[in-house]
This record gives sequence, C-alpha cells and structure tokens, in this order.
Amino acid sequence: MSILSFCLLSLLVVSGTDAAKLSLQSPRFTISSSNATQLRAEPISLAQQPAPLTLGLTDVLKLTFQVIEKDEGKGVQPHQTFLRFYDKVSGEEGIQPIRVTPAGKAKFELNMARPPTSLPPTTSSDPLSVSLLLGSFEYSPVQFDMFDIYLPESQPAPQHPDEATFHPLPTIVHTFRAEQKLPPRPISATFAALVLAPWAVLLGLTVKLCRDVAPFTTIYKGWGIVRPPKKLIPSTPLAQA
Amino acid sequence: MAGPKSSSAAAAKSTTPSSTSSSLTPATSNAVHTLWKAYNEATSSRLKTIDAFLVFLMLSGIAQFLYCALVTNFPFNAFLAGFGSCVGQFVLTASLRSQVNPENRAEFKEVSPERAFADFALGSIVLHFFVYNFLG
Repeated sequence: MSILSFCLLSLLVVSGTDAAKLSLQSPRFTISSSNATQLRAEPISLAQQPAPLTLGLTDVLKLTFQVIEKDEGKGVQPHQTFLRFYDKVSGEEGIQPIRVTPAGKAKFELNMARPPTSLPPTTSSDPLSVSLLLGSFEYSPVQFDMFDIYLPESQPAPQHPDEATFHPLPTIVHTFRAEQKLPPRPISATFAALVLAPWAVLLGLTVKLCRDVAPFTTIYKGWGIVRPPKKLIPSTPLAQA
Repeated sequence: MAGPKSSSAAAAKSTTPSSTSSSLTPATSNAVHTLWKAYNEATSSRLKTIDAFLVFLMLSGIAQFLYCALVTNFPFNAFLAGFGSCVGQFVLTASLRSQVNPENRAEFKEVSPERAFADFALGSIVLHFFVYNFLG
C-alpha cells in the first residue's frame, strides 16, 4: 500500500516538473462596427493587459491567436480551448469554446447583434474579465487573462422559481377581526329592563289569577274547572272529569 | 291550543256591543272584547296560569329578539341560549296545555295529565341543561 502511494506520488512529481508549457503567439483583437469600419485594433500583451474594451450594441469583436509550445514554438491543438467571460461583481460567468486548427490557429468572433448564449448577464457599470483557458493531456493547463470588456447591459439573470425558499420569507402579518364593541350603557340598561319586564307581567297575572279565583293552591287542585266566582256568568257548559 | 277555545267565542257573539277604548273600528274592538270575555269565562284558572306563562315567554322572547336585531348580537351564544330557552319552553308549555285541556280529552286518551306534566318537567330539565351550557 505504501509502495503504491510512493509510486503515485513520484509519478505526480515527475509529471509536474517535466510537462511542457503552452503559450500564445500574436494574440490580436479587432473591434469593428456594423458597417465594417474598424474602431480599435491592438495586439494583446500577456504581460500587461490592454485598456478595457467597449462594445456597442452592433459592434463586432474579432479575436485571433495561435497556441504554440513555449520552448519549441510549434503550433499545438489543445484538447480544450475556452474563453471565459467572468463578472467579478456578480460572480456570473460564461464559457465559450473556441475551435482551434491542428496548427494551433484560432479565431473567435463576438457579434453583439447576435450574441452567443454563453455570455453571462451583464450590467452597464461592471466589465467582464475575459480569460483564455487551455487544457491538454500532454501539456500543463494554463489560463491567460486577456482583457476586460464592457458589454451592453443585458436582461438580469432569470430567478429560479425556488429562489425565495433560500432566503428568509417576509414576516407574516395577521389582520385580526376588530374587537367586539359593547353598546352604550343606557341602551344596554333599557333593554335589560325590557327583557326583565315580562317577569313583572307574569307576577301581575299570577296575582290577578289568585285574586279572581280561590287561594293559589286550589288552582292546581284536581282535574277540570275550578268553580268560577259568582260575578261571571258561565256562557258555555263546562266539562267535568 | 286555540281550537277548542274558538268554539266558545262563536257562541258568545250575541252579547251587546261595548264602547270603544282603542283606535280600532267599533266592530273590531267589539269582536276583541267579546273574544276576551268568552276566554275569561270559558277557560279554567289552571289553563289561565299556563296561558300567563305562555304570554310571559312570548314577551321575553320578543324582547331578546328585538335587542339582537336592533342593537347588537355580540355575545351571540348568549342570544341563542336565551332565545332558544324561550322558544323551547313555549313549545313545551303549549303541548302541556293542549294535553291537559279537558276539551281535548278525546285526542289524548293514553296520556293522563300527570303524565303530560311529567313529560313537561323532564323536557324542561333537558332544555335548560342545554341552555345553561350554551349560555357561556
């Protein structure tokens, strides 16, 4: 086990030190407008970045370079060649693969009238830093920071439908039913007296019944009619049990 | 309840008309007075006691309903309990009156007045159990 790890480690060390390096030969960019007038054309220096580029809505950026082996200078076709557009402020990035010929020559065109879908969303104030990524089995991978470019403002990145669940949701605001109000005291008192008044009516009627007929206890005595007082003349025959 | 009573009113219509004391026409007030007189004469005091209780319940229920309709129904459960007790008790008392009335004896052969009163008492207890619990 330890022998295997030692072998792997030594292999890694060997590959790191002996792998050849890649470089770029004569990288150039050209910005031209829609009617083919050239606005800016410069060689790109890898040691010092050129001034930030600016592209209008209809401008075209052309990029040409050749990938070579650093020591020998012959053209190399790397297995992966990507142009990376990175927005430092928002963290958005876009990767654009570039086709390289077997001789190592590469040409890339960015037409703002028909921008590629790989461009990240841009803002009007922040530039995109453009870098070239080269990957190969035979050579060590390398990243060249080329330039900064100001692109026209784009639509903001679409929000994921689940975006809201990753942030605190807004505070729930409850609307409670209004407190029940009591009516004013005089009205309340009036109606209280009104509701209790039937008791007085009942009392009065009972007293009247007691007075008109015999004492109170005889009202419930037996079945049928208690003998009515003499002043009332019975007009109908009264049933007797 | 008013069925057996109305037969006596028809027989007593031949009495002399009395002086009007209300805003009704003389014929209406005369009819009312005659009805009242016949009621007084024909009804036993036992039934009159029950009628007094019925009138009391009706007035009580009307007063509570007016309060709920006009002012507020704020403690709604209290209104329901009070109004329900008036209506329920009215129904029980009315059924008691019809069962106890000797003129209805033919319809209630198997129900004695004591049995009717026992039913009335039991019904009232159950009603007031619910009413008390609903009062809140």
